[in-house]
Amino acid sequence: MSSAHARRVKPWNQRLAPYLFILPNMLIFGLFVVYPAINNFNISLYDSRNGRDFTFVGGANYQELLSSEAFWSAARATVVFAVCFVVLTTVLSVALALLLNRRIKGRAFFRTVFFLPVVLSPVVVGLIWGWIFDRGNGLLNTVLTRIGLGQPGWLVDGGLAMTVVIFVGLWMHIGFYILIILAGLQGIDPTYYEAARMDGATSWQQLRRITLPLLRPTTMVVVILSLIAGFQAFDYIWTLTGGGPIGATTLMVQYIYENAFQSPIRYGLAAAASVVLFITVFALTLLNFLYGRRKEAT
Amino acid sequence: MSVQPVRPVQSPIKRTQWTSIGGGRVPSAGQVLTYAVLIGLTIVVLAPVVWAVLSSFKTQSELAQRPPALLPSSLAPTNYTEALSSFDFGLYLQNSVIVTVGATLLTVVVNTMCAYGLAKYNFRGRDVLFLVVLGTIMIPLQLIFIPVYQMAAQLGLVNSLWGLIIPPAATPTGVFLLRQYMLGIPDDLIEAARIDGAGEFRIFARIVVPLCGAALAVVTIFSVMWRWNDFLWPLIISQDPEKYTLPVALAQFNSQLSVPFNYILAMSVVSMIPVVVIFLLLQRHIVRGIANTGFK
Repeated sequence: MSSAHARRVKPWNQRLAPYLFILPNMLIFGLFVVYPAINNFNISLYDSRNGRDFTFVGGANYQELLSSEAFWSAARATVVFAVCFVVLTTVLSVALALLLNRRIKGRAFFRTVFFLPVVLSPVVVGLIWGWIFDRGNGLLNTVLTRIGLGQPGWLVDGGLAMTVVIFVGLWMHIGFYILIILAGLQGIDPTYYEAARMDGATSWQQLRRITLPLLRPTTMVVVILSLIAGFQAFDYIWTLTGGGPIGATTLMVQYIYENAFQSPIRYGLAAAASVVLFITVFALTLLNFLYGRRKEAT
Repeated sequence: MSVQPVRPVQSPIKRTQWTSIGGGRVPSAGQVLTYAVLIGLTIVVLAPVVWAVLSSFKTQSELAQRPPALLPSSLAPTNYTEALSSFDFGLYLQNSVIVTVGATLLTVVVNTMCAYGLAKYNFRGRDVLFLVVLGTIMIPLQLIFIPVYQMAAQLGLVNSLWGLIIPPAATPTGVFLLRQYMLGIPDDLIEAARIDGAGEFRIFARIVVPLCGAALAVVTIFSVMWRWNDFLWPLIISQDPEKYTLPVALAQFNSQLSVPFNYILAMSVVSMIPVVVIFLLLQRHIVRGIANTGFK
C-alpha cells in the first residue's frame, strides 16, 4: 500500500477487520500449536502417575532417558531409518525425475503411477505390505519359495524388518519428491544446454556441470523435507511391523506415543523424548538451510 | 557459470540433447533401459494395490490357499457387505466422512479468512504473525502431540469428533498458499469496492473469495486427503471404539486379529477409493500445490 494511503486515518471497520479475519485461525493455532509447542518443555520437567498428580522433577526425565535402553534403541533406529531414507530418497528422486524428464512416451502415465502411493492411507499401505511380507503366508515368500529362494523372515529378523520399513517408506513417498525435482528441472534455462552442446559437451558433462549444480537448491529442499519426514515416521510402521521385532523398528514417535498413552503412562518422560526429537529436527533443518546458503554464496 | 547463455537454436543433431533420447526409429540402448526401469517400477508400485483389490473379493479360505490364486472365484462384494453388517465399519466410515468434511470446511474458512487478513491489510504485528505461521510448518503434530492432547483433554475434546475436526484445522500451509495467491489480487479492486460502499466482509466474500478458486481447490484437496488418511491424532483422540475413524479401526482390529482379514482388506480398499478418485480427477491441482509450496 502506498504511503499516502497509509497516512490517511482509516475508518474503524477497516482497522478492526484484519484482526477479526485472522482471529479464528490464530485462536486454533495458539491453542493447538503455539502454546503446546512451548508447554512441551514445561511438561518434560514434571513426572506424573498415570497422567495425574504432576510433580516437578527438573531434569530427571532427561537423565532417565539417557540411561534408558529403550530410548537409545529408538534413537538408533530413528537415525538409521532417517539417514537411509534421506540418502535413498534424494538419489532415487533425482534419478527417476531425470528419467521422467526425458522425451518418452507415457511420461504422464508414469508420473501418475509413481505419485499414486502418496495419496494412499499410510495405515493401509503398512497393512498391505505387512501382509505381502508375511513369512509363511505372504505373497513375496510364496513367489520366493517357488523359485527356490526360501522364506526369509522379513518381519521377524530385526535387520530385514528395518530394510522393509525403509523400502515401504520409499515406495510410499518417492513420487512426492520426484514431483519436486521435476519442478526444479523444469526451472533450468534450456539455453544452458544449447550453449554446452555448441561447446561440444557430452550428455554426461551436461548432467555433471549444468543439471546437477543448477538443481542443487531443489535437491536441498528434498533433503530437508525427507529428513523432517524421516524423523517423524510412524503411521505406516505401526501397521507394517508394529515396531517389532523386539523394538527393532520402534522409531522415536512410536516410543513417545507408547510412553504417553500406554500403561505405565509417563507424560513427562515422553515429553522429554519429544523435546529431544524436536531439537534434533530443528537443528538439522537449520544446518541444512545454512549449508545450502553457504553453497549458494560460493 | 562459465557457459554463456545464447539464443536457443535448433540443434542439427538431435541425439546429443541429453534430455532427449533421439527421434530415430530404432530405439537406443538408453531408451530401452529407461523403459525397462520405468515399467519395472510401475509393477512394483501397482502390484500390491492390485493384489489387495483382487484379494478383497476372496473368501477366507481362498486367502489362506497356497499357492494363492491370482483371481478371486467371484466378484461378489460379500466381504464388503459383511464387514459393514457384522462389524461397525459403517459407523467408522461415517465418522471418517464427518471428520473429513467438517475439518475441511473449517480449514478452508479459517485459512482463507486468515490469509486475507495477512495479505490485504496493514496492521501492527502482521509480519510477526505471518512469520509465526510460517515457523509452525516446522512443528508438526508428531513432535508435540502430548501437550496438544492435554489441551484437547482440558477442552473436553477427547473421544469427540470435534476433537478430530478442530485442532488440526488451522493448517499453516493452507494459510501460506492462500496468502501468496491473494497477494496477486490487485488492491485497486478492493479499494474500488470500498468506494462503492461495500463492507469489509462483503468485499472478502463476494470479490476476493471467488477470485481464489484455484488456490481454494488445492487447499480443499489436500485437506481432504490429510484428514481422510490421518492416523496419529485420531489414534490419540478416539479411544472409544464408537469414535474410531476408518484408519484407526483398521489398525486396531488388524493388530488385535479380531476381524477376519478378508474384511480388513475390503475396508482397506474402501479407504483407498475416495483419495484415488480425487487424485486421478484433480491431479493437476495436486501437482501445482506441491510445486508451489512443497507440502503434501
